[in-house]
Amino acid sequence: MPSPKDVQQSTAREPLGPDSFAALEPWLAHELGAQRVAIVGAALLAGGAVQQNWRLDVEVTGGRRDGHHAWVLRTDAAASLDVSLDRVSEFRCIEVAHKAGVKVAEPIAASDDLDLIGRSFAIQALVAGNAQGRRIVRDPALAEYGDALARELGRELARIHSVRPKAGVLSFLPVPVINPARREVATLRKELDGASEPRPALEYILSWLDTNAPEPRAITLAHGDFRTGNYMVDNGKLTAVLDWEFCHWGDPREDLGWFIARCWRFGGDDKVAGGIGKLASLLEGYNGLSDIKVSASELAYFEVLAAARWAAISLLQGDRFIRGGERSLELALTGLMPPEMEWDALDIIDRLATKGRVT
Amino acid sequence: MTQHRKLGAEALLDLVAEVFKSEIAPALPPEKRYLAAMMGNAIDISRREMALEEEALTFQLLDRFYEDGDGTVAQLARDLRSGAVNDATHPDLRARLKAHLANELKVRNPRFLAARGVKG
Repeated sequence: MPSPKDVQQSTAREPLGPDSFAALEPWLAHELGAQRVAIVGAALLAGGAVQQNWRLDVEVTGGRRDGHHAWVLRTDAAASLDVSLDRVSEFRCIEVAHKAGVKVAEPIAASDDLDLIGRSFAIQALVAGNAQGRRIVRDPALAEYGDALARELGRELARIHSVRPKAGVLSFLPVPVINPARREVATLRKELDGASEPRPALEYILSWLDTNAPEPRAITLAHGDFRTGNYMVDNGKLTAVLDWEFCHWGDPREDLGWFIARCWRFGGDDKVAGGIGKLASLLEGYNGLSDIKVSASELAYFEVLAAARWAAISLLQGDRFIRGGERSLELALTGLMPPEMEWDALDIIDRLATKGRVT
Repeated sequence: MTQHRKLGAEALLDLVAEVFKSEIAPALPPEKRYLAAMMGNAIDISRREMALEEEALTFQLLDRFYEDGDGTVAQLARDLRSGAVNDATHPDLRARLKAHLANELKVRNPRFLAARGVKG
């Protein structure tokens, strides 16, 4: 499930400092097949107090990466949701996506050996750009590049969905044995059973989703949190798809529905494709490259699924404050958001019922 | 700004909101503005919730599903999951649920409703 990374998390782990990375040098040299690796600079980038991003300036001598590099080291989150991948598993997904041609920050190395820097981490190339959803959606120049960006993102999704389950590929990810949408409904219901507040509207929506779940068109790799805010844009061009911690095998339409869900348009409501462009542009990019051709009308179900998912996650984020003792105003306010997604989901169901397509 | 008849929690919170937004928030450094905006939002939600009769709204929701005040919100959630309450038993079910959501949103985010053409 997405977006715990948007919220600072608290823990008692020893903080990292610029001098914490010495143990990485021999390890990296071994990983990269280099004679020597020297970390000549380390600077903390913007981010949470626990799940940190460090810029590392690295001199590599010998091997295939000989030369100077600017990389980013991301540490593991201390309190991820159960369904999210650990940093190393996420890194393996990024490697597979990279091989499939997806624009990601180039994966360099990852480890869960706590003897190195005291926590799991992954290192990727530093990529230029801005990932803040609100800034992207409000960019005055968006009118010039928004639809081209939506097409480009459609093509990226098609590349992600070109990866299919087979022996030896991300075998730690479970392949769904039941309809992935119904599996998601079951997961969300289970999460809601432990929540502090009953949500009748959300229960109605989940029952509707359970009853109306379409058969999957295919089982593919799914990013799991593909939305505005999780990709980098530099001068109107996509530079990297980020945040792969919810990567899984699923119905490819989940990603498309998540991308177009109103809750991820950051106020750019008239631009259905992530607040940046037309749905037709996104699908033009997607269908131009994918062997699975998706129509706009079949995405309505997945928009409802996306809204239900974000509603449930928001509720659980609020519980981290009200029950878990995390003193975060952001968590508290996120916990008040479920009626927004519930409203949008019921609107879509109303619209479909009026058309007589579903009950 | 609402005129209050007595000096109590509502009047004080109104005043705190006014002072915070007009005098404190603009004086903060840029890196604290997001936090300040969240604080302003939290104060506004609290003010609106204090002015609301929450129990009456819950009763309004449940009264349409359960007789004699027997039901609870948790019961309604369970009945919707099990299917005991559904579109066939209550043909205007979605409208009822949306009316309740509108009441919640009037407190939590009235701008959300306004953006969807619903009067707050």
